[in-house]
Amino acid sequence: MSQRKALVVDDEIHIVQVVAIKLRNNGFDVRTAENGAVALELIKTEKPDVIVTDYQMPVMSGLEFIENLRGDPETADIPVIMLTARGFAIEDEKKEQLKIANCLSKPFSPREVLRCIEETLSTSSVT
Amino acid sequence: MGTKKYYLIFILILSAVTLVANIVSIGFKPNPAAVIAVVTGLCVLIALSVFLNYLSGTISSLEVISEKLKEGRPDELHMRGNAAIESLLDAIRQFSADSVQETRDMEKKTAEYKLELQLLTKEKENTEAIIYSIRDAVIVSDEYDRLVMANAAAEELFGFKKDPDVSISLEEFIDDNDFIELVRQNRQSRQCHVKHEVTFDGDQHQRTFDCIISCMKDNENQVSGVVAVLHDITREKEISRMKNDFVSHVSHELKTPLASINAYAEMLVDGEAEDQETITEFCTIIQSQAQRLNRLIEEILNISRIESGLVKVNKECLSVAIVVQEAVKMIESYAAEKNITVNLPAPIIHDQVNADKDMLSQVVINLLSNAVKYTEPGGNIKVDSEVNESDKIVHVTVTDTGVGIPPEDIEHVFDKFYRVEANKKYAKGTGLGLNLVQQIVETVHDGKVFVTSTIGEGSTFGFDMPLATSQVEETVK
Repeated sequence: MSQRKALVVDDEIHIVQVVAIKLRNNGFDVRTAENGAVALELIKTEKPDVIVTDYQMPVMSGLEFIENLRGDPETADIPVIMLTARGFAIEDEKKEQLKIANCLSKPFSPREVLRCIEETLSTSSVT
Repeated sequence: MGTKKYYLIFILILSAVTLVANIVSIGFKPNPAAVIAVVTGLCVLIALSVFLNYLSGTISSLEVISEKLKEGRPDELHMRGNAAIESLLDAIRQFSADSVQETRDMEKKTAEYKLELQLLTKEKENTEAIIYSIRDAVIVSDEYDRLVMANAAAEELFGFKKDPDVSISLEEFIDDNDFIELVRQNRQSRQCHVKHEVTFDGDQHQRTFDCIISCMKDNENQVSGVVAVLHDITREKEISRMKNDFVSHVSHELKTPLASINAYAEMLVDGEAEDQETITEFCTIIQSQAQRLNRLIEEILNISRIESGLVKVNKECLSVAIVVQEAVKMIESYAAEKNITVNLPAPIIHDQVNADKDMLSQVVINLLSNAVKYTEPGGNIKVDSEVNESDKIVHVTVTDTGVGIPPEDIEHVFDKFYRVEANKKYAKGTGLGLNLVQQIVETVHDGKVFVTSTIGEGSTFGFDMPLATSQVEETVK
């Protein structure tokens, strides 16, 4: 079984780093990007199995990034987990429309991120 | 008139006697029956004469009464000798007295009504003046949806001038069918104090109003009209939106370092840091993020303290150039990360101001930090500081080659929580930094902030502060 690939997108270097360490320690091959635009470029060369992205980022926000992903047949099905520090949750309709697997609020638990990813990947592999 | 009556009677009797004497003197032997007839005839004549005389007198009295009544002097009616006339006079006098009393009562009542009318007119004018002076728009319509009254605010809002004497349908004045329909529905539903939120498209921007509509009812509980009061809440809505934005931004800003602290602490607990070096790294991150969190909270509190006048200010005589140089040193590493050059001003000798050093330093750091944030890598930042002797001020500017600010945003950049929408993608922020700059410069140091910008070319932010010497002179005066 090949190593699972994860992409972590956040403009906060410490957040990217802690999620990346957690995932690497649990067998993931992790790539990182500082915003949605950089992530889209990265995905062109290396398609991840799962993406963890922040909501609010400069240059390209998390929602814009996911909209771009869903607009491309090559990346439309990549499961996405969103981290958000906003004072309110993303609407269910939007979540469904963009096929966001889960939304975790900051401050988050790296354990919870890992659990979500495992759950999402097991669900998507079944389907 | 009375003398004439007696003359007439006397002449008649004399004529009768003379006639009888003449008849007797000529030897005429009268037939007794004829004499009786003549005497009877004479008596009848006399009686008729007396009656005519009485009638004439009565008519004359009536004429006098009529004249007196015409002249409005019923009190002067005094006639004796004729019971009927006297009775009539009594009746007339009574009637006249009653009429006079009634007239006086009516005059009194009329005067009272006039006074009441004057008071009511005054009261109406006062009420109208009050309604006209209210800042809220007030519109009154009748049961047929015709505009009865509109105050100055309503006329300004809907752009018409109402003739107070003319009632025309609301449609003639108000070019907003939704609002008219709202008034109509409220009238039909007979409701009171119903609150709606309505929006109107203005010349430049949309305005939002709290609209309270109430039905007016007459004594028979029938709807006689509708009163609509429109309170402009555009500003409140804007403040509310800004507060929501602020909560959202601050939430993000506070939660981000908190997220790092929480995540790295959990990693340490879970033994995810395999060696001492990684443990130290995680602890250092936790510490730096805690400090970041503290700085942010301090920034919010500083603005709050300055606004509430509770901030402790330690003013001293200091050189602006030195503060600027220290601030530039602090920001250099951040600028270097983006390969941005910061040019320092030439030192100035006589640029002393009476200021709180920490606060002034915060001002320069915030301006420099913003310049770095919104300047593309490889750009340039220039700091200038000069003394204007004639105005007795120190003029400090921070000019960048950044993305610039759209003209419509320029006047708002120092507003609390305001962030330029077009530039949000370049950097995160709470929208508090520039407001803090303005509070420190203007509220604490009596200075003035300013900004100029061109999109795509860059911006210049700066401030003027009074020279220490000018403050001393003012104190001496």
